Amino acid sequence: MAERPEDLNLPNAVITRIIKEALPDGVNISKEARSAISRAASVFVLYATSCANNFAMKGKRKTLNASDVLSAMEEMEFQRFVTPLKEALEAYRREQKGKKEASEQKKKDRDKKTDSEEQDKSRDEDNDEDEERLEEEEQNEEEEVDN
Amino acid sequence: MAAVAPGSGASREEEGTGGDATTPQPPAPTSAPGARLSRLPLARVKALVKADPDVTLAGQEAIFILARAAELFVETIAKDAYCCAQQGKRKTLQRRDLDNAIEAVDEFAFLEGTLD
Repeated sequence: MAERPEDLNLPNAVITRIIKEALPDGVNISKEARSAISRAASVFVLYATSCANNFAMKGKRKTLNASDVLSAMEEMEFQRFVTPLKEALEAYRREQKGKKEASEQKKKDRDKKTDSEEQDKSRDEDNDEDEERLEEEEQNEEEEVDN
Repeated sequence: MAAVAPGSGASREEEGTGGDATTPQPPAPTSAPGARLSRLPLARVKALVKADPDVTLAGQEAIFILARAAELFVETIAKDAYCCAQQGKRKTLQRRDLDNAIEAVDEFAFLEGTLD
């Protein structure tokens, strides 16, 4: 019972939404056309994967990376995709970095709290007093200047 | 002093009056293109990539870019097919519009024979 790779379709609802947003308002799409586009998208991914894999093999790598896919786009004569894809990649990397930093920060905070909770408390109180004094002095100076 | 924005309290007359329109409400306000990183589920794209027997591994970034590229592809082919429908003065995209687009546009040559 071999399933053809083209049968691995992408979700219909998402495909429909993408099509509708690409076309002007009021334009409809028949069911047959929609499912054909969905299948075409799957074929596109398969073809792009195969192209990208060639680039990876040329680079003697076993893992497909982003630049392999970008090279595949150019090979397939979809150069116009390259710029928007690069921008999307930048945004994706930033998001991933943000997520990673957020989770690392949470971990650090958790560790700090459990390890040195008491020490930090006393240290903080001393620092606060010093800062208040400095602020008061600055305020006095400003008032004199205004007057 | 609280500033009252003009018109904020006024009721909208367009919505909710139970008017003639039977069209369902739009799902969400359209955001700028690229605001959402990708709509296609990465898991499905990954399944397609793994279907290739020659592929050993694919990085997360590669999967993401493939998903985004597939979206761009769907937009592109839909628009190209629509040009054909427009010539026929129709407002519904048909399968034959797609076939015409595939024949007409060189980049879509790889699709020939795959959609049947």
